[in-house]
Amino acid sequence: MSSLQGYVDRRVLLVLQDGRAIVGVLAGYDQKSNVVLSDSKERIYSIDEGVEEVELGLYLVKGDMIVLIGEIDEAIDQAVDLASIRAEPILPIRY
Amino acid sequence: MLPLSLLTAAQNKPMLVELKNGETFNGHLVNCDNFMNITLREVYQTSADGDRFWKLKECYIRGSTIKYLRVPDTLLDTVKEEQTRAREAGRSARGGGSGMRGGRGAPPRGGRGGPRGGGQRGRGRGRGG
Repeated sequence: MSSLQGYVDRRVLLVLQDGRAIVGVLAGYDQKSNVVLSDSKERIYSIDEGVEEVELGLYLVKGDMIVLIGEIDEAIDQAVDLASIRAEPILPIRY
Repeated sequence: MLPLSLLTAAQNKPMLVELKNGETFNGHLVNCDNFMNITLREVYQTSADGDRFWKLKECYIRGSTIKYLRVPDTLLDTVKEEQTRAREAGRSARGGGSGMRGGRGAPPRGGRGGPRGGGQRGRGRGRGG
């Protein structure tokens, strides 16, 4: 059985169906992959300026909306200069 | 920590709810259930494009339409504390944990609950001879 248990209390990247990328500490989850993120920030990517981080705090995201949950290597992540990154934002899923 | 325990602990607390269609609702949580259906009071509703607003005395939101909820940061510590207190209360109620190891969750032995499909093993083999 696949499980999020190994990610608990770790810093993770969440990608949502609307294209948002949120980083935060996985504080909890349930059977339906609803997820609690503490100390979370949205990372907004754009082509003409660096990555903007917006503080979101304590977040409860519904499992339905989640596309991906990935563990973040904090050492590598902190070494990245977000202000220098230019990237297209992820497009929302369209049906 | 379960998302639903966080939500139940958020009763009477302010929160922001975004729906899958992008509309947002700012208000205080009145009640919620296991489907994450919620009622809010003193609500400010904002359209998905963010240029229209409505004020509602109270509203009900079906859990399945919710994208995410943003709750006060302090709630995390509140819930964690509550859980430790509940654990300790449970431990002392069971006599300091002595002699009751694994009491909860261990299935009763014998009777019902044996190996599944026990007496039926082998059925379905040798189809057609």
